[in-house]
Parts: sequence; structure tokens; C-alpha cells
Amino acid sequence: MDDSLLVDVEGLHFSRGEKEIFRGLDLQVPRGKITAIMGPSGTGKTTLLKLIGGQLYPDAGRVRIAGQDVHRLPRRTLFRLRRRMGMLFQSGALFSDLSVYENVAFPLRVHTDLPEAMIRDIVLMKLEAVGLRGARALMPSELSGGMLRRVALARAIALDPELILYDEPFVGQDPISMGVLVQLIKTVNQALGLTAVVVSHDIKETLSIADYVYVISDGQVMAHGTPATLNVDQDDRVRQFIHGEPDGPVPFHYPAPDYFTDIMTGRASS
Amino acid sequence: MKRSKMMEFGVGLFMLAGILGLVFLGLRVSGLGSGVGGDTFTLNANFANIGGLKVRSKVTVSGVEVGQVTGIELDPKWYDARVTMAIDSKLEGQLPRDSTAAILTAGLLGEQYVGLSLGGAPDTLKDGDTIRDTQQALVLEELIQQFVSNMVKN
Amino acid sequence: MSHEHARRRGASRRQPVRQIMALGRGTLDMIDALGRAGLFLMLSCLGIPSREGIRLWLRQMHFVGVMSLAIVLVSGLFIGMVLALQGYTILVDFGAEDALGQMVALSLLRELAPVVSALLFAGRAGSALTAEIGLMKATEQLTSMEMIGVDPLRRVIAPRLWAGFVSLPLLTIGFSVVGIWGGYLVGVEWLGVFEGSYWSNMQGSVGFVADIGNGLIKSLVFAMVVTWIAVFQGYDLIPTSEGISRATTRTVVYSSLAILGLDFVLTAMMFGEIG
Repeated sequence: MDDSLLVDVEGLHFSRGEKEIFRGLDLQVPRGKITAIMGPSGTGKTTLLKLIGGQLYPDAGRVRIAGQDVHRLPRRTLFRLRRRMGMLFQSGALFSDLSVYENVAFPLRVHTDLPEAMIRDIVLMKLEAVGLRGARALMPSELSGGMLRRVALARAIALDPELILYDEPFVGQDPISMGVLVQLIKTVNQALGLTAVVVSHDIKETLSIADYVYVISDGQVMAHGTPATLNVDQDDRVRQFIHGEPDGPVPFHYPAPDYFTDIMTGRASS
Repeated sequence: MKRSKMMEFGVGLFMLAGILGLVFLGLRVSGLGSGVGGDTFTLNANFANIGGLKVRSKVTVSGVEVGQVTGIELDPKWYDARVTMAIDSKLEGQLPRDSTAAILTAGLLGEQYVGLSLGGAPDTLKDGDTIRDTQQALVLEELIQQFVSNMVKN
Repeated sequence: MSHEHARRRGASRRQPVRQIMALGRGTLDMIDALGRAGLFLMLSCLGIPSREGIRLWLRQMHFVGVMSLAIVLVSGLFIGMVLALQGYTILVDFGAEDALGQMVALSLLRELAPVVSALLFAGRAGSALTAEIGLMKATEQLTSMEMIGVDPLRRVIAPRLWAGFVSLPLLTIGFSVVGIWGGYLVGVEWLGVFEGSYWSNMQGSVGFVADIGNGLIKSLVFAMVVTWIAVFQGYDLIPTSEGISRATTRTVVYSSLAILGLDFVLTAMMFGEIG
């Protein structure tokens, strides 16, 4: 297998209840690059990250990370593999009963036997990288949304992972913290040489940092390419998404019976 | 750091209070170890009827608690109740051989217990001896029956 | 459109079949939930406690046990006082007010202390556990813990389960002690029952194993059931604010029903032939 690929998703099928979320999804994440996965809300982008992280099991298909099939691994090996991954959650997901410092120290304490002095050095280094060294004594409830995500980023990179998964890092941020996060993701990626998967529907920010972009829709990859090629892509659906047009191939209306007949006849039955 | 120490202290106190509470329940409420503590010796007595006597009922001399009932079983030879009692060992060799045991009731509805009345014989009761002269429990129904049949006879 | 109507008519004709299907689905869902809950309990409780585990357990003992102490003790005091007051007015008619201590102690130890502390515990600590774990789930803390490579069952759930198992029996002991003292205050200090007979009647009738021991076994069973329900409801809920509020309600309702139902079963097993 190609050594330049870190994550290789092949023919992924997954459904939740009656609803098919993925039907034959293929995508590749090259080492050392930022790969973005974009698509309208509700297309299962977060689900995809959970499948990659081995928290959900697919109905069919494979996810391989560095050549290992994530869903065939015994629990212990899976947990060891996860040490090489960091994940940044939409809400930050800091442990609310631990301070900022302890949150960042958490993976170190769990997975290493480093002496306290060394842990302190690493934690302060990571916090410095996200610009929050001064906030180490605060509790998560005292932080703003943008700061929460920065601390979560510091925690995600605490163990110097090879792969980092970002789940909607830009959602609900004011322009300044959005800029800060874009900058951070970029510099962290370059400085540590790690591989990143960014799941997002914030087009402008994502395109500005991604090396390669997959657009998914209806459970499959609709288009993929570098940001430059996507911008000039002729496909209607891709253009609608990239340029944020309200109506197009992806309809503005949720599927419904004809408006007129619905209003005139629907009274008695509903 | 300070907060977690306080917490540990609080939890420690909580556990300690629980254990002390259990000790209180054991000693004060269920009367474990009250009355007779330490060494005891065993006496037996056969009763025709023990009424409501139970294991752990008290044994008294002149109303003072000196021991408790440790076992009740049916004597297969005489078909009466054989009661085993643990008596304070200070009384070993002090109780005359012709002492009597009676099953008494504390108040009208109260607990039943064994009362020992001392005799005058020079010999004394030793560990494992049996008291010969016993008085069975008063069963209220029997008393009433007797009373009624006496009335009818007269 | 007429096709649509035909489909609806067909549906209403199949109504009984549907209801049977719904019943079957309900049963299967219940078995499924029970299975998951059982597996969940097993996975959480197994495993060797580490130093870190003991520290986490201590922390939960504080939240679950120490924080419930006040409400349990105050309730115990009042219930003991009421028992003495009620018992006195009944017993005095038979001239048996000397048996007040016995009545207060036996009612508390066998029945009221285990049941009432468990109900209070479900309301105070159980609902808090559900809400806390639910919130951790909703804010993805449990998922992120798993991604860091730490099993949330061991780190989050197990300390809470064990804290619940240990706390409730201790709280029940506290309840009994305070209740008996409350009975003493009302019976002896206020209503003038003779102090000696209050205690000696109690000591004469309360068995350490039969009454105190059985009461504690009840309380231990309630502790396991209530904590299990609370923690599982939190872990299994739908991670939205509505889901959390529903699960919290479910914890209190299920726990209360389980406590009262189990109390009957346990009482029948323990005291059935005596009573």
C-alpha cells in the first residue's frame, strides 16, 4: 500500500436506523497535509470522524490508518492507536471538573510516566503554542468559546499525535477567534508536520488552509480536488455549495407534496 | 490542592461517622455486649413450656441481669424445651444446686425472660449443670381457661 | 393522491397487526436496554482499582455521600420524632408506652431508614449523577475521553457506582441513629417515657443480625439499584437538553418504584416467617 497515505477509507457504508448515511464512500488522506471534508449539514461529517476514530463501526467497507484496519483491531490496540490521534471536538469537550492545566496534562498523565516537572514543561509549551499559558489556572466554565477550542487544541496535540481530526472548528466563532483558529491549525500543522483532517462547512476558511478537499453529499464523494480546482469546478452541485447559493440542485425545500394540493386538500387528514 | 485535602477529610469523617453509627446501633440499640461481657459459664434448664422465650432473652437473679439464653431446643427424651444459658462466670460456684428457674414476663405485654431464684443447698451449680426445678411460662389463654373451668365447677 | 388515500385505508385496516408489532418492538427494546445496562454494569465494575481510581472514588464519595448527609440526617430526625409521637398515642392506650423504644427502633431499622434514605438518595444524588453524566455526554466529554484512549466506563462511571454503593448504607446508618435519637427526644424528654425502659426494651427486641443486618442488606441492594439506574440513565440518554431532563426524571421515577418494589420482596424474604 501507498506509504504516503495515512488514512485510507474504502467503500464505507454506514446507516443509522433506517437512514443510510454513507453508501460507498472512498477517500484518502495523505501524510503531512491538511485534508478538508466539506458538505452540507446533516451529511454525516462528524459521523465520518467517529468512524475514522473507531468509535462507530461501519456496515461495510474499511478504514485503514497507517495500514491498520481500525475496526478489526482488538480494543487494546485500538486504544494504543488512538494515542497517535488527536481529535478536536465541536464543543471543545474539555473535562469540566479539571482546570485548563489539568485538561492539557490529562493525556500525558494517562499515557506516560513522565515526572511532574516534565509534564509541566510540556503543558506550558502546548499552552504557549495556543497563546493561553496565562489561563492555565482557569476552569473550562470560565473560558469563552474560542478559548475553549484553543485549549482543546493544546490538549489534542499534547501527545504529539500524527493525525489530528478537527470537527467543525470554526462553527459559532466570532471573526477574530475564527482567524486565530485558522492561523493555529495552519501553524500547528506546519510546525509539527502532522496530518490533519478538517471537517467543516465554513467554505472560505476551510479552503484557505486545506491542501486537498473532498465534498460529500448523499453518502458519497461528490467532488474532490485542490481548492483551486474546486473553485472552477463546473458541476452545479459543487458550485452551489462552494458559492453558497440558496437554491439549486440541493433544493431549498424539504421534500413535500405539491404546495397547492397540500393546502387545499391536506386539512382533513393532517 | 487545599480543596482536595478538605474533601478527603470530609469523606474520612463521613466514613468514620458511619462506622461509629454502626457501633452505636450494635451496642446501644441491639444491646450487643451489654449486660454480660467477658467470661461466662453454661447452665441448662428444661421447661414444660417456654412461651415466648427467645435466644438472647435475658437471665436475671433478683431482677439483675446476669446472663442470656444462648440456645433453645426440643429435648428428644422428655419432649420438653431445653434452654441453654450463658451466665456471668463470677457466679460460677455461687448458685446453690437447688436453685429454681422460672420464665417470667416483663409487664403485661413485655419480653419474657428467665428468672433464677436461689435455694439453700450447700452444693453449687457448675459449668454444664442442669437446673432441675423449673416453672414453665404462664400462657394467658391457659390461665383464662383454668379460671373459667373453675367457675363452671363451682 | 387517490393512491395516498388507499394506502392510508390499508394502514388503518392493519391496526391490530400494528399494535402487536408495537408490543413486540417494545418488548425487544426493553430486553435490549436491560442487556445493555447489565453489560454496562459489568464492564464498569470489573477492573482493578488504581491509585488514581481511589482518588476519583474519594471525590465522588464527597459529591454523592457527604453532600447527601444533611438532607438524610434532618429527615431521619423528623421521622424518628414523628414515630415516637404517633407510637406514644397508640401505645399509651394499651398501657404499653414502655415499648416505645422497641417500636421506634424496629420501624426505623427494618423499614424506614433503608427505604426513606434510598428515596432521598435517588432524589438528591441519583438525579445529580444522571444530569452530570448526561451533560458530560452532551458536551462530548465522554467521546473525547475515549479518543484520548481512556475508557469512560472506568474513569467516569466506575468511581460513581462504587461511591453510591458505599454511601447509601452509611447514610442509612446515620438515618437510623438520628431517628432513634429523635424518638428519644420526643418520647423520653418530652412525653415522659421512662428512659430505662426506652433503651432496655429496644435492646431486648432488636437483633443485631436480624434487624440491623437485614436493614443494611436492604440498603445495600437499594444502593446498587439506585446508583445503577442513575448512572446508566445518564450514560444512555439522548444528548440534548430535553434528553437530560427526561433522563433525570426517569432516574427518580424508576428508582423510587424499584426501591418500593424490592422492599416488599426483601421484606417478605427476611421477615416473612417472623411477622
